[in-house]
Amino acid sequence: MIRVVINGKACTAEKGESLLSVARRKGIDIPAFCYEETLAPYGACRMCLVEVVKGAQEGITTACTLAAAEGLEVLTQTSEIVSLRRALIELYLAQAPRSEAIRALAQRYGIQKTRFARKVRPDDPLQNRCILCGLCVRICHDVMGAGAINYIGRGHFTEINTPFYEESAVCMGCGACARVCPTQAIAFEDIVQTRTMKSWSGTRVPLHACSKCGRHFAPAPFVNYARQKLAPDLQQTPLRLCPDCRSREIARKAVLLSTGAAVAD
Amino acid sequence: MGLATCGIAAGADRVYAALESAIRKQEHNIQLRRVGCIGYCREEPLVNIHLPGKPLVILHRVTEADTGRILHAAATGDVPRDLALCRINAWDPIVGDKLVFGTGFEDIPAYETTPYFAPQQKIVLRSAGLINPEDIDEYFAVGGYTALHKAITEMSPADVVHEVIISGLRGRGGAGFPTGLKWNFTKEEQSLRKYIICNADEGDPGAYMNRNEMESDPHMILEGMLIGAYAIGAREGVIYVRAEYPLAIERLTAAISQAQRHGLLGENIFGTDFSFSVTIAGGAGAFVCGEETALIASIEGQTGRPRPRPPFPAQKGLWGMPTNINNVETWSNIPVIIHRGGKWFSGIGVPENSGTKVFSLVGEVECVGLAEVPLGTSIRTLVFDIGNGGLRGKAIKAVQTGGPSGGCIPASLFDTPLDYAHLTEVGSIMGSGGVVVMGTETSMVDTARFFIGFTDEESCGKCVPCREGLKHMLMILDKILAGRASVADIEILEELSGLIRKTSLCGLGQTAPNPVLTTLRYFRNEYEALVERSRSS
Repeated sequence: MIRVVINGKACTAEKGESLLSVARRKGIDIPAFCYEETLAPYGACRMCLVEVVKGAQEGITTACTLAAAEGLEVLTQTSEIVSLRRALIELYLAQAPRSEAIRALAQRYGIQKTRFARKVRPDDPLQNRCILCGLCVRICHDVMGAGAINYIGRGHFTEINTPFYEESAVCMGCGACARVCPTQAIAFEDIVQTRTMKSWSGTRVPLHACSKCGRHFAPAPFVNYARQKLAPDLQQTPLRLCPDCRSREIARKAVLLSTGAAVAD
Repeated sequence: MGLATCGIAAGADRVYAALESAIRKQEHNIQLRRVGCIGYCREEPLVNIHLPGKPLVILHRVTEADTGRILHAAATGDVPRDLALCRINAWDPIVGDKLVFGTGFEDIPAYETTPYFAPQQKIVLRSAGLINPEDIDEYFAVGGYTALHKAITEMSPADVVHEVIISGLRGRGGAGFPTGLKWNFTKEEQSLRKYIICNADEGDPGAYMNRNEMESDPHMILEGMLIGAYAIGAREGVIYVRAEYPLAIERLTAAISQAQRHGLLGENIFGTDFSFSVTIAGGAGAFVCGEETALIASIEGQTGRPRPRPPFPAQKGLWGMPTNINNVETWSNIPVIIHRGGKWFSGIGVPENSGTKVFSLVGEVECVGLAEVPLGTSIRTLVFDIGNGGLRGKAIKAVQTGGPSGGCIPASLFDTPLDYAHLTEVGSIMGSGGVVVMGTETSMVDTARFFIGFTDEESCGKCVPCREGLKHMLMILDKILAGRASVADIEILEELSGLIRKTSLCGLGQTAPNPVLTTLRYFRNEYEALVERSRSS
C-alpha cells in the first residue's frame, strides 16, 4: 500500500490504482461519465480533471488515467478545474439536451443554460441523450465479448450503433450497455417472448421461458451464454427457472429439509 | 528525369515517355534514368542531363516539345541554354564519396549560386533527385548501407544510441522529442519482442516532405530503421504510410524486396546475429492516425483513436510490446549520424536544434518547393531568399507553420529562427515542416476557419473538448465571417480555445486551437472589423 494526498487528505491506495477509484473510496466527489471499474481507464469524458501538484505529470490531467504513486498529491476542485468542468458541462448540455443526468450535474455546478447551439435529432435512436462516452461499446466488446455495437463515423458525426444499422446477429440482449450508460440513452423493450433493442437498429432477441411458470424472463442467448460460464454440474438446474420460481423452489427445499422429509428435484 | 508525384503532376511522365521513344527511335547513345525530386517544384518537370566530363545540368520546365532539341544538343555534347536552370560540378552525398560530374558550361549558373538552392543544406535530401529510387545499386553508389555495416559490425547497440544522443537529433514528426532518449526507453525495456515503426502518415495540408523522402530515397529510410532496430533490439518493423501516397508505397515495397534479395533485410544480416524484417501498413485516410497511439491501434485493426499515455508505446506499444515510433525524416537522418558521427551532426544548426529540416514552402510564395535548411534559419531566409518573396511580387502578410496544429506568424516576426523553442514562443510549432505563405489579401479569420474546419473534420470524436468544442468553434467562426457575430462571440472563441488546449486527450486537440489563438494574437483587428460590420448593419 502507498500513500497519496487528495485535497490535503492522506489516502491509502494500491500502487498503480486509478486515482479516481482511490478518491471515490474516500468519498471525494469527482464527476466522471466514461469510467467503470470493470473496464480499463479510457479518458474520454474529461470530467474527472484534477490538478497534480506533486508527481510525475504535474498539471491538469484526468483522474481515471492517473496511476497512484507514492507521494502523489492532487487537487480536485481548484477554481480552474471547476471552470473547465463547467465549460465541458455546457458542451454536454448542447450535445445531449435530453439527458437528465447531464442536467442534474449542470444544476449542481450552477449552470442554468448552455451558450452553445443544442443538437436535437427527432429520430435519434439514443434519444438525444448520448454523450459518446463509449461505455456501452466497451462493455459489449471487452466484458461481454459480443461486440454488437461500435462507433460509426468520426468527430462530432460519430454515432454508436450496429454495423450498417442492421439488426445485430451477435447481440445477446443482455442489456449491459443500458446498465452502464451514464445518461440512460439506451432503450430496449420486452414484449411477450421478444426483447427489442430499440436503440440498436431494432435488434430482436428471443426471451427464454421459465420451465415452471412459462413466463419469458431473460434473453435466450444470454441464458445460454451464462450457462456455459457455470461449472458442468451446475449447468442444468438453476437457470431454467425464472427468479420468482427459483426463490419458491429454494424455499420449498429449505422447508422440506427442516422437516427431515426427502427432497426431490 | 525527375519522377516523383510532384513532377508527374507537372507532366514529367509524358516528357519521360517522349524522351524514351525518341532515344529508341533515333538510336542515341543516351541512358535514360528515373530519379526522385530535388525539391524545386515551381520549375518542374526537371531533367538532369549529364554528359561525360561535364557538370550535371538541371533543365527546368521541360515539355514534350523540348525533347527533340534536348537530345539533339546532347548528341553534340551540349545542352539547350534556355532550359538550363543550374549546373552541379560535384555533389556531396554526405555518406558516400563525393560525386564529381565534371567542368565546363561556365555560362550556366552554378547550383551553389542559384538563389533557391544557395541557402539550403541537403542532409536528408542528400541524394533526392540525383539517384534512381527504384535501383538499390544507385543507393550503394552514394554510400548506401555502409552506415548500417558500420553500426552492426563495429558498434554495440549502446554505442549507436549514444551516437544518436550526442547528435542532438530531435523527432521530426512535430513534437521534437530527443530521438536518442526515445530509443533508449525502448532499448531498456525487457521484452522478447519489440517493434519499431516508421510514421509516414503525413497529413498536414500543404506538407509533403515525407512523401518526397520516400519517393526519392526509400533505401535511406530502410537503412535508418535497420540501424534503429539494431540499437533497440527489435526484429520487426512496420512502415505506416497513408494510402494517398501510392507511389511512395510502390517504391518502398520495391526497396524492401531489393534489400531482401541483397540480404540487407531478413535473417543474419552481414553474417551477424542481427535479423530484421519490415512490412508496410497502409493508412485509411484518417489524419489522427499520425498520433502514435492511434497509429498503433490502426495497425492492430482497431478504430484509429488515441489512448491516454502513459503507458507510452516504449512500454506498451504495438501488440502490447515495447515499440519505438519515429517519423520518416527522423529515420532519414540516422545513416548520416552513424557515418559522420553524432558530434559532426550536432555542429549543424543551432544549439538544442541540431541538423536540418525539410520545409514545404507553399501558398502565395514565388518559389514553391521543398527546401532543406539548417535549423535556426530565419523565416525571412526561407520565404524571401529561397522563396523569392510573395507570388508575382505581392506583399506577404504571414506564414502558417506546423500544419493545422500550428499558428500564423505575421511578417513583422519573420526574423524568428525556425527552431523548436522560438516557434513555440510566437505561438506556433515546428510540426512536420509545412510552411504556408499568405499574401496581404488573405483573410486571417478565414484562414483560421479553414484549419479549424480541417481539425474538426479529422477529430476522432473520442474526447468531448475536441469533438464538441471544435464544432462550436467552427460555428462561431462561420458566424463571424458571415457578419452576424458580436464581441461576446470572440470571447467564447477564446474560452473554447483554452478549454480544448488544456483538456483534450491527444496532441490533435491540444494544438488544434493554435490557428485561432495566433490569429487572435496578431490579427485581432480582422476579427473586430467583422464584428463591427455586424453591429453597424
